[in-house]
Amino acid sequence: MEVESISQHTSRRFNKDLEGIHNLVLNMGGLVEDQFDRAIRAIAEADSELGLSVAESDHQVNEMEVRIDDECRRILATRAPTAGDLRLIVAAMKTITELERIGDEAEKIGELASRLATVKRPSTNFRELRNLARHVKGMIRDSLDAYARLDVQQGLEVMKADKVVDEEYEAIYRQSLTFMLEDPRTITREMDLSWAARALERIGDHTKNICEHAIYMAHGTDIRHSSLTNVESEVSQAGIVKEAAR
Amino acid sequence: MLPNRWVSHFVYAGAWLALALLAGIWLGNPAWWLVGALALYLAVTLRNLYYLDRALEKGAPVPPATRGLWAELFSIVVRLRSKSRKRRKRYRRLVREVRQSTRALHDGGIILNPRNEILWCNRAAVRLLGLNLATDVGHRIDNLIRNPDFVSHLENPGGDSVSIPSPAMEGGQLSVQIIPYGKNQRLAIIRDITREVRLERTRRDFVANASHELRSPLTVIGGYLDALAHDSGLNRDWRTPIAEMERQVSRMTRILRDLIELTRLESSQEEAPRDFIDVVGMLKFIEREFVSGLRTPRISVHFGTDLALLGSEAEVHSIFHNLVSNAVRFTSPEGSVHVRWESGENGAVFSVKDTGIGIPEELIPRVTERFFRVDPGRSRELGGTGLGLAIVKHALQRHGATLSIESEVGEGSLIACRFPDNRLVARGGPARAVG
Repeated sequence: MEVESISQHTSRRFNKDLEGIHNLVLNMGGLVEDQFDRAIRAIAEADSELGLSVAESDHQVNEMEVRIDDECRRILATRAPTAGDLRLIVAAMKTITELERIGDEAEKIGELASRLATVKRPSTNFRELRNLARHVKGMIRDSLDAYARLDVQQGLEVMKADKVVDEEYEAIYRQSLTFMLEDPRTITREMDLSWAARALERIGDHTKNICEHAIYMAHGTDIRHSSLTNVESEVSQAGIVKEAAR
Repeated sequence: MLPNRWVSHFVYAGAWLALALLAGIWLGNPAWWLVGALALYLAVTLRNLYYLDRALEKGAPVPPATRGLWAELFSIVVRLRSKSRKRRKRYRRLVREVRQSTRALHDGGIILNPRNEILWCNRAAVRLLGLNLATDVGHRIDNLIRNPDFVSHLENPGGDSVSIPSPAMEGGQLSVQIIPYGKNQRLAIIRDITREVRLERTRRDFVANASHELRSPLTVIGGYLDALAHDSGLNRDWRTPIAEMERQVSRMTRILRDLIELTRLESSQEEAPRDFIDVVGMLKFIEREFVSGLRTPRISVHFGTDLALLGSEAEVHSIFHNLVSNAVRFTSPEGSVHVRWESGENGAVFSVKDTGIGIPEELIPRVTERFFRVDPGRSRELGGTGLGLAIVKHALQRHGATLSIESEVGEGSLIACRFPDNRLVARGGPARAVG
């Protein structure tokens, strides 16, 4: 694909290398999405076998991270990229770290799912958790889409959605506490449940970071640690600057 | 041979020069007259060339008809131009028709170039995959549809389609097939199979639940029958019916057990686990079980290799056991059954060859269907459940293995299972390795 920030190079191999990195990152993203999907399915369908298999296949994600990392270092060492190319590599290296962490959280959810499959389930079958998972799943997808398309708008949308996820996590946590207070026999289950919710909330944060890296790659503005309104105005300014530069 | 217009052009040009030469001779200074005539000729030619250039490049109107070669050239330009205009119109209409008809299609279609970039997609593809026609053309499809199964299918598109969850529709399931065409172009066809998948799951759940529900009453009946059979005070006349009832109950139990096993195999999408299985030991064990039977054919087991398998022990046992017991069942006591475990090129083969009744050629593709029987009366009498080969097929699939059946009626059958390399390890070697 012709990523905008991949400028034309006299060396076609260099171009190919950069594209390769971009594609590998997204392949890894696909793998993580799949892991996450299966972990959530394991919870929803009380499938302990599936949960364990998710936990066991986390090494694929880790191997992929190592591979992309090596590739990035090789390019940095041999090509000494600058400007947009450098941003692409830096964003890739940061994004795969986030993806690897999402993979770790999915592994955790898989383990919790296999434990939750053995206990008596509440009549709602963890509806709140599944709801939260659906939101987070959408965030993972959208953040990777934003990364693939270098779509700043979509990235900002994901960052806004994170707020909802935080609130939902809070609600689940409080509900779990109430259950535990009412009936101490549910403590084990509710603890596992809130761990899973916590993992989902963390994944939401990681997707937010991925969006930040995507925006950094597209515009070169570092928007970490700044409030959302600031970010929006900054990005739109950067957009204008870019338009003017054309 | 020169075209007519050129001949007449040369005639005219020659006449023109001759006229100038004559005028020169007549009035003196023929050389200057000739130069003047040539200059005039050149001027006219250059002017017409200029018009031709403009007509060809910018589509400017051609100069009003003069005569001779240039007039004809210009008329050719006009003719070509109107022809191409008509053709363009026709193509434009054709493209519009194609676009409209593909838009009406229910299935999604995406045209990909050799680098997997989206060249075009129809509206159904947009809806099913959540693409954005405005921004996604030119993007690599595997950057947007990142499902690992899809990506690996994109890299080596085999004949089969892959099933992936829809990124756009909650709970939706899609089937994607990549079809190569033209010069390195590829077409991805996307079908919404959500309903089929749901129906299939409902059917599977039904069979599983029904089998489970039937099992408990059957156990109760079996228990009472067992007690009755051992009751010495029972009227002698009841002996035979009760024995028959017991036989039927045990048959039903077997069928239910196989049904449950089959549903379990069907519903698990995961690959089989990779536990270490000592094939040689397992086959020796199975051999002993059948050799001890009274009215059984001669069984011989041949080991061409001592490779071990990585798989699910229960499933592999059920594969071997089912195949051997089938062979034994359909072979007369005078016949023989040869079981072989050999390594071949890319994989190892487990095969069972018998001299039994055989399977008619046209029925071979159907023998793995559930409850399919080549000879219904006979196999039921021999105690088969009709599910054995279906179980074998599904268990093999989970191990990435293939089943092949050769048979001739009256001569016997050869059934072979080919296990792939990545499921094989040396016996006694490391329990985990290779692949």
